[in-house]
Amino acid sequence: MNERELLEAVGRLPKSIEPPRDLWPGIEARLGRRWRRWYWIPLGAAAAVVAVLVGRGGGGGGGGGREAWDVSQVAGRPMVGAAPLRGAGTLRVGEWVETDDSSRARIAVGRIGQVDVQPGTRIRLVEARPDAHRLALAHGTIAAQVDAPPRIFFVDTPAGTAIDLGCVYTLEMDSLGNGRLHVTLGYVEFRWGGRRAIVPMGALALTRPGVGPGTPYVEDAPAALRRALAAFDFEGRGEPALRAALAAARPDDALSLWHLLERVDPPVRGVVYDRLAGLVPPPAGVTRDAAIALQPAALDAYWRAIQRILFRKVILQGIRDIDPRTGRTVR
Amino acid sequence: MTDDLVRQAQAGDQSAFREIYRQHAGRVYALCLRLTGDDAAAEERTQDVFVRVWHKLRSFRGESAFGSWLHRLTVNVVLMERRTTGRRERRVAPAADPAVLERGGREPSVGLNIDLERAIAALPEGAREVFVLHDIEGYPHAEIARLTGIAEGTSKAQLFRARRLLREKLER
Repeated sequence: MNERELLEAVGRLPKSIEPPRDLWPGIEARLGRRWRRWYWIPLGAAAAVVAVLVGRGGGGGGGGGREAWDVSQVAGRPMVGAAPLRGAGTLRVGEWVETDDSSRARIAVGRIGQVDVQPGTRIRLVEARPDAHRLALAHGTIAAQVDAPPRIFFVDTPAGTAIDLGCVYTLEMDSLGNGRLHVTLGYVEFRWGGRRAIVPMGALALTRPGVGPGTPYVEDAPAALRRALAAFDFEGRGEPALRAALAAARPDDALSLWHLLERVDPPVRGVVYDRLAGLVPPPAGVTRDAAIALQPAALDAYWRAIQRILFRKVILQGIRDIDPRTGRTVR
Repeated sequence: MTDDLVRQAQAGDQSAFREIYRQHAGRVYALCLRLTGDDAAAEERTQDVFVRVWHKLRSFRGESAFGSWLHRLTVNVVLMERRTTGRRERRVAPAADPAVLERGGREPSVGLNIDLERAIAALPEGAREVFVLHDIEGYPHAEIARLTGIAEGTSKAQLFRARRLLREKLER
């Protein structure tokens, strides 16, 4: 490589690299409060007034916290209710947005984010309150981007509810209610009845009506693992499918095995734990007995270790090699 | 849009400042990562930068673009940290050790950019700083010399050394 080639390569380097984790909490904790105090007092009072008004049924078109959201035409002729949307409009609680094969729309989720409605989609606004932003996706594809505290943005589907934990994701539902969730930033919890999947960035989960979310898996999970998980989650193949999943799993697939702990019967939970612990060692304080007993503290500690590894792997992809067993940089 | 956020943040609005962070964190982190050659140090410096920005924001008069002001402040924070820590133990000893580069590191996996990022991170500290500031960020030698406290000629020599090491590394 000569110097010109080197400089050309340097010119192609990205100017921006997202940090491997959200650094804001650490920053916020270090910010002085001298301005904040006087700022928040009137803001808090104003919020209280707004809360009272909203509680009395006050509303109107537009921004967050009201009973309607903004919606805009992106392409083609999306419909809002029975009327075609031209330019920008208002989506009120109970109204549907519907796109045909050639139209797209964008819904402003109050003031906390947006949902891009892809072609062939039908979606309804269910709730538009400051503490509960809720859509119902009947079928089609949406791309959601939300910057808000966890658990205030929900998307109901025929096969469960996607609960935003601060993230960017795509959610697809076919006309039979079969769905696929793909998270590209942050986390989404998908829940149906008592069944849940926590899907971090770089991972996916399938969901089926009457069953709920399947075991999530990372984007590059081996095909054998995906097939085995689908057989276990949705086809009732039981222990043979489980053993096939365990055999196919790599350290990178700890996310899936952690979820399987909660999904298998107690007699085989030890087998799942042993495989998980062999791939990604448990953090200090997590014992086999506690994990098999599904003690929340043990599961949470193991989860934090796994999600940290996955986070570093995804965010540093192409910059650092990450050991999938520990999350440490490989040098 | 950033101008409005800056005005709101100057008035003490932390939510506006958070949005500023969200918009600029990637740029700041990239600069910190390349200057330090270590992701953990880059995270710390990125946080330091935004805390510093918050406290200095009221002194920002809009005489330059906010992004330029932030960029300059980032460079100052990273270099000042290095000066104040002096020769205390570095988080990434290999990055400060030219021998690492001479004996080669991990095999590249995919893409020139990845190889190049790794090779930059593995440069000796002084060479890396000059290379990042000059060849990536476009600073002139005179300014690099002022910022880093070295002679202008040393800056040029470090740049020559960095480019040579990188070419050697990338040809392997």
